[in-house]
Amino acid sequence: MTPASPRHDGERSPNGLAVGDPEALPGPRSVTRLREILQPDQDPDGDPDPADQVGESVDAAQRRRAADEWLRRRLLERQLHDGASLRISALALRLGLLRPPAPGKDEDWQDRIVELQDELHAVLQELRDVAGKIYPPLLDQAGLAPALRELADQAGVELDIEVSGPAKEQRFGPVAEGAAYFAVAECLTERPSGRDVGGSPELRVRIDRDQGDLVLAVAGVGARHLNYMLDQARPLGGSADLAEGGTPETGTITVRIPCK
Amino acid sequence: MQVALAEDGALFREGLLMLLKAAGHEIVGAVGGGDELVALLATQRADVAILDIRMPPEPDGGLTTAERLRALYPDMGLLFLSHYAETHYLMRILEIGTDSIGYRLKEKVGSVDVLTDTLDRIHAGEIVIEPVLAKRLVERPRGEKKDVMASLSERETDVLRLMAEGRSNNGIAGQLFVTPKAVEKHIANIFGKLGLHTDTSEHHRRVLAVLTYLRSQRTEE
Repeated sequence: MTPASPRHDGERSPNGLAVGDPEALPGPRSVTRLREILQPDQDPDGDPDPADQVGESVDAAQRRRAADEWLRRRLLERQLHDGASLRISALALRLGLLRPPAPGKDEDWQDRIVELQDELHAVLQELRDVAGKIYPPLLDQAGLAPALRELADQAGVELDIEVSGPAKEQRFGPVAEGAAYFAVAECLTERPSGRDVGGSPELRVRIDRDQGDLVLAVAGVGARHLNYMLDQARPLGGSADLAEGGTPETGTITVRIPCK
Repeated sequence: MQVALAEDGALFREGLLMLLKAAGHEIVGAVGGGDELVALLATQRADVAILDIRMPPEPDGGLTTAERLRALYPDMGLLFLSHYAETHYLMRILEIGTDSIGYRLKEKVGSVDVLTDTLDRIHAGEIVIEPVLAKRLVERPRGEKKDVMASLSERETDVLRLMAEGRSNNGIAGQLFVTPKAVEKHIANIFGKLGLHTDTSEHHRRVLAVLTYLRSQRTEE
């Protein structure tokens, strides 16, 4: 992403800046969209993702994970700079140019104010976007199932979530929930591309608690998704195991993440 | 209009107070949490209570407080203001009530006109839903809804989006510069295509039917 092409390429205000309605993004290309949601600036023509290499060594996985984390930080910083910061700087300039309305020109004045407010809304949406990539607010407020549903919704991806037990038992603490959320989010991103969502098999997630562990059963995935699960579970002393299905996208991965 | 306000962020609370005053409303009290709001309304009446969703009692004091207020004063309007427009919260709000209720983004009620329109509609018994959220519901249908939604004409999609915002027939007609009669016709067509019963003549029931349809896959929980 370059500063000249903000991600939210919605309507344009008279000054040429995007008014930035992130809701205005095209709908059906949900796989691409989800990738944008999670990894804004990833270069689609970049190196092949090493995580595609099934069965990498623990050392290699650790190195890749550490490298990913730094890249992620850099992307977030860049998004703040190219998005919110740039918009706020431009707003400061536009406020500096604002003059009291000439007599009888109140309407123009009102229009100007509304434009500035729209721009502020766009800034807030970008900040929400970045905040969501650091730790989704709904995950904190409402837990794993609602947060994953919202993510799938916003991306237009099919996701079937099953939870067991009463709502009160659905909270697993910020660490395990964070790891589980990003593990599933990575799987959503890595759904087979080039296929319309309607035709792609559904991803099903079952959330359970077992002796102080958060247990996720993610169905509709393959070997290539296992590394993402391991990335999140292993550093916390957890595990991830794949039960192969008949085809690459019909396996089930069971992830265990200790809650303490 | 008599308005009570509960918001734990002092800066935003003060700003909203100024805006409410500028809009000519009477503020019967402004407090920093849900329990304080319930205490305030025990001695003061209000037409509409404005609540932040994420405030004490944590985690989402706005919602739990609203449940109590709806039970105590069924006729009082409720307006939720939040930093986030999420379907999760919308569904929880609709469980509290489906009339005289609203959910909007904090930065989207930033003018006298918009704030007054929102409060007036709630006071008149309507549901008010953040347009950003209504648009997302209509434009990103889930699963098998995609084909049905694709069968709507452009104008029908506009009407459905405005319905999902909770707008009345007259409100939709005003937004689209058409007659209320034309809106009625569009709505009949939409309900036909969606397979919904048109006997839901009452406005808020119809809005609810639309929202439930758009979200129906999440009710299986």
